[in-house]
Amino acid sequence: MTAAVHMAGVRYRYPDTERPALDGLDLHVAEGELVLLLGESGCGKSTLLRALLGLVPHFHGGELSGRVVSGGLDTREHRPGAIARHVGLVFQDPESQLVMRRVDHEVAFGLENLGCASGEIAARTEHALLAVGAGHLAGRETGTLSGGEQQRVAIASVLAMGQRILLLDEPTSQLDPAAAEELLGLVRRLNRDRGMTVMVAEHRTARIFEEADRVLVMEAGRITVDAPPEQAADLLAGSAPWLLPPVTQAFVAAHRPERPLTVREARRFAPQRRAATMVDPTAPAVLHLDRVDRRHGDVRALRSVTTGFAPGRVTAVVGANGAGKTTLAQVATGLLAPDAGRVTGPPVRGYVSQNPAHHAIRESAADEVAYVLENLGVPAAEREQRVAEELERFGLADLAARHPADLSSGERQRLAVASVTVMRPQVLFLDEPTRGIDGLRKLAVAELVRSLAAEGCAVGVVTHDLDFAGEVAGEVTTMARGAVLADRQPASQLAADGLFACQLGLALGCRSVAEAAALLRGEVEAVHV
Amino acid sequence: MRPLPLGLLCAALVAGSVLLDNPLSLAACALVATGLLAASPPPRGAYVWFAAGSALLVFLVNPFVGVQGLTPIWTGPQIPILDTEITQEELAFGAAAAMRLIGSSFAIAAFVRLADGDRVLAAVARVAPRSAMIAALASRLLPTLERDAAGLALAARARAARLDRRRPAAALAAPLVGLSLERSLSLAEAMEARGYGSGPRTRAPSGRLPGWERVLLVLAAGLAGVVAVAAPADSYRYYDLLGDPFTPAGIATAGAILALGAGAVATVRHIGRRE
Repeated sequence: MTAAVHMAGVRYRYPDTERPALDGLDLHVAEGELVLLLGESGCGKSTLLRALLGLVPHFHGGELSGRVVSGGLDTREHRPGAIARHVGLVFQDPESQLVMRRVDHEVAFGLENLGCASGEIAARTEHALLAVGAGHLAGRETGTLSGGEQQRVAIASVLAMGQRILLLDEPTSQLDPAAAEELLGLVRRLNRDRGMTVMVAEHRTARIFEEADRVLVMEAGRITVDAPPEQAADLLAGSAPWLLPPVTQAFVAAHRPERPLTVREARRFAPQRRAATMVDPTAPAVLHLDRVDRRHGDVRALRSVTTGFAPGRVTAVVGANGAGKTTLAQVATGLLAPDAGRVTGPPVRGYVSQNPAHHAIRESAADEVAYVLENLGVPAAEREQRVAEELERFGLADLAARHPADLSSGERQRLAVASVTVMRPQVLFLDEPTRGIDGLRKLAVAELVRSLAAEGCAVGVVTHDLDFAGEVAGEVTTMARGAVLADRQPASQLAADGLFACQLGLALGCRSVAEAAALLRGEVEAVHV
Repeated sequence: MRPLPLGLLCAALVAGSVLLDNPLSLAACALVATGLLAASPPPRGAYVWFAAGSALLVFLVNPFVGVQGLTPIWTGPQIPILDTEITQEELAFGAAAAMRLIGSSFAIAAFVRLADGDRVLAAVARVAPRSAMIAALASRLLPTLERDAAGLALAARARAARLDRRRPAAALAAPLVGLSLERSLSLAEAMEARGYGSGPRTRAPSGRLPGWERVLLVLAAGLAGVVAVAAPADSYRYYDLLGDPFTPAGIATAGAILALGAGAVATVRHIGRRE
């Protein structure tokens, strides 16, 4: 079969770095293949995708050796502008790649750059927008789009250019479950129906693992696994199970020989579901929101919201993009004042934003943690002691003197949480704490969230990641269009067959890998279906 | 809104504010430009504060640096360098300069707020692709920077920072600059990934000028014509004694500017409502 992508002996180092980002890569992708790219953050997935478009090294500089041919063009001889005629890349952060103000102009931008005949531009723009279900957005300003809408427009902008090779870098990181499902359906259609070659780097593998023709796993700039999904699942079961879909992880944890990759397969291998369990009674809340309204301009972000958060419990706040989850967290922590209604609760409430970079404003990790204590007027001696304790608790003691920008993404995430928890809040909200982080770091965040709740803190977790919510939450509050749809339901709701069900819930009626593994080992009561 | 009719209208107002002399004509230009800016979408506060502040400064400073005019209205103590004898002519000249500033600044601000940035960018890209790239970076960066600044401020407030105090607010400037550099790199990379600068560009057909924009084009052309015809004859004497602004030519010019300008502002409002 003709090669869409060919890499031979590729080594690449970014400028001013010692460690190579790509270290001796050999890769051959045939036309029409769907390839899933896995690996921890920083393993080289994004660099590989950039290399296929020639952005590495033409845009980023650095040293490249070996040969990269994509779409029939050698990246040493052709610049990204020329390769872009054959290869399209959708970056991780959709907001950073929107160039124009209006959606239809944004989609036409690439076509104009490639010198597409003027008469064709409007039709191709229209078709691309319709293909991603965004035809209604054509006249909108790009600055007014939600994260999910931005992601669709970014994909339409690449589709319109008509390339045969599509590269997607964590395309679902900002999408709610329904939008993520829809997007992956689109990717499948492009691959199966139009024969496009697709390479997807992704951390949320539940929906796409089984769809791929091949799974590549990267580690420190090298490809360590290159196999069809079933074989890759076998290989990863022993070395990095957190890269697998949650149902597969459950079977691995239960030491079962089967490797189901989908809900359907899991049901076939284990035709039982967890029996209905005794539900913990709702704990008394320490933070109350009583008929709270809040507007953002013309939009009613919160509509008469009444809910609560209990000490020692993790409450997951779930809902579609734009449901009002973040506004709820910000109103609950006093960062936004309600337009109507009342918020009552303990005086010290913390909020960790979804972008850890927003918590990095000082020159060192220690200063960052000390910042809130300085603002609260804590005496210097006590401040130093509390900062040292907090850094130790979050495993950052050795990095106290490092600049926050020099920390890895996982370390930055922990620092952001430490910079808030050092003030010992009785209520803490974490906004999308797993956005863009890999499976292994997600396990660490889950452990951290559980430990905060175990210390008596009322923890609210705003998240799209239902598998993560299932792992950590004791209660679930579901929101839609600014209103609470279901208030403080037991977290077993995530294991029910609803819209907001995690993969393990759909397959086995469980909400966490540990619970599902116990079910598969016969350690908890089950009902056969 | 398409750049051509709006650009012509704003250019006519800028030209009128710079080339005309009669205070009535300058006041008419300033008034139309103010109406135009008021018809543009928010945010407008920064433009208003900058232009109005500069105009006020010019108006207040001029009498103290000018040494002309024969009609003193106040004489202060002697201060080296400054002229503390304030004359009616100096005040009038300062007011005219302030109106020139208001007329031209507000017209430019209205163009920035009302014109379709994408079409302006496409027009610039045809003659200067690199400049267009910088313009694109700037126009996209401003809103994202605004959001980043809000995010940084929110995270700081979540850590008990009082941002109404100067030091805590200043502490956010450095990380904001860092984030803006990251943003600009990402955007430039995304543009290159979509073939920007790879060869001659084409343009999506923009279609015919819609009806109301054709009306605006006619009104703008009329306004430009009035300025072009009146400019050579619209002289006015500020020193040593003020001339009479209410000449037939002065009244006719100001009246024409006001009539055409009011029509243009109404048309812009109408187009804005339809969009």
